[in-house]
Amino acid sequence: MIDHLEATRYLVNRLTDELVVASLGNAKYALFQSGDRALNFYLWNSMGMACSMGLGMAMARPERRVIILDGDGALLMNLGSLATEAMRNPPNLIHIVWDNRQYQLTGGQPTSTAYRTDLARVAEGAGIANVVRVESLSAYQRAIDKAFSQPGPWFIHALVEAATTHVRPPKSPTFIKHRFMTELGVSH
Amino acid sequence: MTSVTNGISPSSPGEGDPQWARTIIGVLKTYNIRFLNLVPDAIGERLLRVARGDPAFEILPLTREEEGVGVVCGQAVGGARGVLLMPTSGLGNSLNALASLAIPYRIPLPMIIGFRGDLGEFNAAQVPMGQATTAVLAALNIPAFTLTREDEVERVTDGALKLAYANEGPVALLVSTQLAGWKNEK
Repeated sequence: MIDHLEATRYLVNRLTDELVVASLGNAKYALFQSGDRALNFYLWNSMGMACSMGLGMAMARPERRVIILDGDGALLMNLGSLATEAMRNPPNLIHIVWDNRQYQLTGGQPTSTAYRTDLARVAEGAGIANVVRVESLSAYQRAIDKAFSQPGPWFIHALVEAATTHVRPPKSPTFIKHRFMTELGVSH
Repeated sequence: MTSVTNGISPSSPGEGDPQWARTIIGVLKTYNIRFLNLVPDAIGERLLRVARGDPAFEILPLTREEEGVGVVCGQAVGGARGVLLMPTSGLGNSLNALASLAIPYRIPLPMIIGFRGDLGEFNAAQVPMGQATTAVLAALNIPAFTLTREDEVERVTDGALKLAYANEGPVALLVSTQLAGWKNEK
């Protein structure tokens, strides 16, 4: 099983000018703890929207790599987005799902991945071009290295240990947005 | 059998496209709107018929309208402009994403909503959401404008888009059945 924070740190250490959007919950807490940066977009609610937002970013900035940090519960709320992602087929998109098989922040209720649902197979069935399922840190690191060197879209399904943190990213939505857009050099 | 690939559907622009649809698409171009993100409905299809084949636009079909809120917000913070085309039922599917993403993060989100459940409706199951639409938008403080006459389409569309980008938030343009007509079905 993969240590979520260690896996997030491995990713963050590789980042240069990538756009990163992180789902509510542990995905964004671990991203912030691993390294805050202006091009991190933290979602404070909107469960399930990280993947759709990442697709929009990838469409707007085809020259930049876009990374979605998702959770199993969040993705289960928007499984249709995988079909949309596959249809659009953006080569600059890496979609990582941290699967701890539970809604951890609301008390650890099991998600359907604790039973019979395999999100990697769902992504394959949706038609995502490159799907990898990893259960060890070394396999995860190889998957990340490959996704950074070959065209996507990539879907990396990482089975992680349930763990959380009390560290919190900035809470002002407009601060998060303005900092992100200023760094990117764009406006509405 | 027809095929759909990369958002290109088989129908194409023709003489039959209504003036209101040509006008709306023309105004979207003046605002440099590039992405038309949608869940199909009969009214939105009139707009798509005009936009298909125009290199200014890219079309993204969605599985559910809520996805479209996330997609337009991602496009917006990436520095590109998109709109969400959907029927009134789709507004119901979009609410938490509007309330928790587009509104608090202050992201311009023009929605062009084809009215179902109003004048000329044959389907009772469309009526409750259709009739609740303006109240739901008002409850979220989303400015909403209804297009009913051909001669107001350009001015109202232009004003609504100007407002969305100035205020950095969602704006709804409701395309009424008075303007677009309704289904023949009894």
